[in-house]
Amino acid sequence: MRPASALHAARAGISAAYVCALVAVVLAFENPIVLAASAVAIVAAALLAGAGGPLLRAALFGVPFALLVAVVNPLVAGEGLTVLARLGELGPLGNLDITREGLVFGAVLGLRALLIVLASGALLAATVDPDELLGGMRRCSARFGLTAALAVRLVPVLGRDARRLADARRCRPDATDKPGGAERLQIVRAVATGALDRALDVAATLEVRGYAISAEGGRRRPRTRAPWSRHDLAVAASAAGLVALAAGARLLGTAGFEAYPRTIVAAGAGTWLIAAAIVAVALLPFADRRGILR
Amino acid sequence: MSGSGWPARERLTRTRRIALIAAAALALGGCGLGAGSDPGGPVSLTVTRDFGTEEVLSIPGAKVSGADTVLRVLQRNATVKTRFGGEFVQSIGGVAGGRRDGRPVDWFVYVNGSLTDQGAGAVGVNGGDRIWWDHRDWGLTPDVRAVVGSYPEPFVHGEDGKRLPVRVECADPKSKPCSDVADKLLALDIPIGRSNISRSAADESLRILVGPWKAIRGRDAESDAIDRGPRAGGVYARFDETGGELSVLDERGRTAQTLGAATGLIAATRSKDRQPVWFVTGTDDEGVAAASRALDEGVLSNRFALAISDDLPVAVPATPAAKAK
Repeated sequence: MRPASALHAARAGISAAYVCALVAVVLAFENPIVLAASAVAIVAAALLAGAGGPLLRAALFGVPFALLVAVVNPLVAGEGLTVLARLGELGPLGNLDITREGLVFGAVLGLRALLIVLASGALLAATVDPDELLGGMRRCSARFGLTAALAVRLVPVLGRDARRLADARRCRPDATDKPGGAERLQIVRAVATGALDRALDVAATLEVRGYAISAEGGRRRPRTRAPWSRHDLAVAASAAGLVALAAGARLLGTAGFEAYPRTIVAAGAGTWLIAAAIVAVALLPFADRRGILR
Repeated sequence: MSGSGWPARERLTRTRRIALIAAAALALGGCGLGAGSDPGGPVSLTVTRDFGTEEVLSIPGAKVSGADTVLRVLQRNATVKTRFGGEFVQSIGGVAGGRRDGRPVDWFVYVNGSLTDQGAGAVGVNGGDRIWWDHRDWGLTPDVRAVVGSYPEPFVHGEDGKRLPVRVECADPKSKPCSDVADKLLALDIPIGRSNISRSAADESLRILVGPWKAIRGRDAESDAIDRGPRAGGVYARFDETGGELSVLDERGRTAQTLGAATGLIAATRSKDRQPVWFVTGTDDEGVAAASRALDEGVLSNRFALAISDDLPVAVPATPAAKAK
């Protein structure tokens, strides 16, 4: 079966590195122009990878979270020279002023949080095969790789358990329309208990499938090294290019941003060049459609 | 429905709503939209190093916007780096706090001659305030709570925008130095009271004690603090037991210079929960007279304290930079 995109076609480790590179770019910059370019790159990559649905689902969580970050920052950071509102002395929080600089930086932080959620929630979860990733991690650390893969797989399972338990609770004759704290706690407790039971089942299953066999005592399947495909090379080059762009820009001091005491956004040619390069480098692997599902 | 016309549950909800609105109104009463009103008078900003020895920046009418804080005034008028969420000034004009020659150095801020007891971001600015940032060695003590270098503050504008009563207390109320000091303050339109030196209870008055040190010492909590040394009183100078000699100390508390007869001293100190107390004093009557003549804005500018010997100013503390000058 043909893969849906270059990210699906590339090895899991390489695709994961690509997503990590995008996250690294987001973390490396506070400049709104570069962050906007990163947003374009992430959203476009997700759409080109056919991960529009996961992107939307990630946004349902990510947008409120980003708004929360954006709102909290001006409340806790009273820095900035342009005071918009004075909230007075508020106990242990001290003198609280809402400044324009605090609002702007809050928006920047919120955008960064949203982009990280989109990159990991949509791109990583939708395009990277966790089994293949686990197989790759086993070479470095089997326990870490196994734990990570299980966590990724079990979270939606526990979510479905919680929904089924909530539905069952609503069938009870004494159920209320809006469950209180005690009722919600009951469900959480039931899910947690179920998770422990599932953990035992998973452990037994893994043992049967040979995960407990050690390298020295057991027979190991011979590893077959497949050569890197064109998609592996393209995605890996894209990831390396993104990291190099971020590192280079930081070293050269391009695309700077100062939040306090005045908001200063570097918007020169260098910044726009970096922004354009991020979008281009991030989306180039998708240009090669050979071997990709049409 | 009950006899009052509202069901009990709806009354409770209505009560809660009213209580919430009242609480919100109370809370919002302490708030304000916009930057607030301007201070209503010029605010001066001075930045120095080494106990006022080296002037880095001096702006008689600093840029101020709305109800600014001391920190914002600094940020509007100088290049500043802060730490800990903007609450702590790390560097001004590239001069940073930290360590220098193994000694701790940092920025301290005085408003109208008093060390701020809150962070600079929490102290509001009022018209006429003199803001003074000084970068200094604080290895001996960080608690230099009052300085004379912002004279005629705090006498003209007081503290927190509130003018304070001023009292001139003299060992000899009829002496010329006492009259000179009183006249200088009256010339600045500062109403004053005059009395003998008294061990007064804590009140809101600003006090200036005038007289030879041997007549002043032991009669006031603040003079006791100065006698105990810089760690207690924040003044880098000490009189000997007789009051006839004044040792001027360096930033490490070591004696840099010993001054004898006819030496004057102008210094200020401040105890907790009390207003600053100024001393126009000396080793003898001639010293006190010299000190009273030196009570002048130009002479005291950017001084932590000042000794006068042979009618010449001697910086207190005696830092290497001051000695070089």
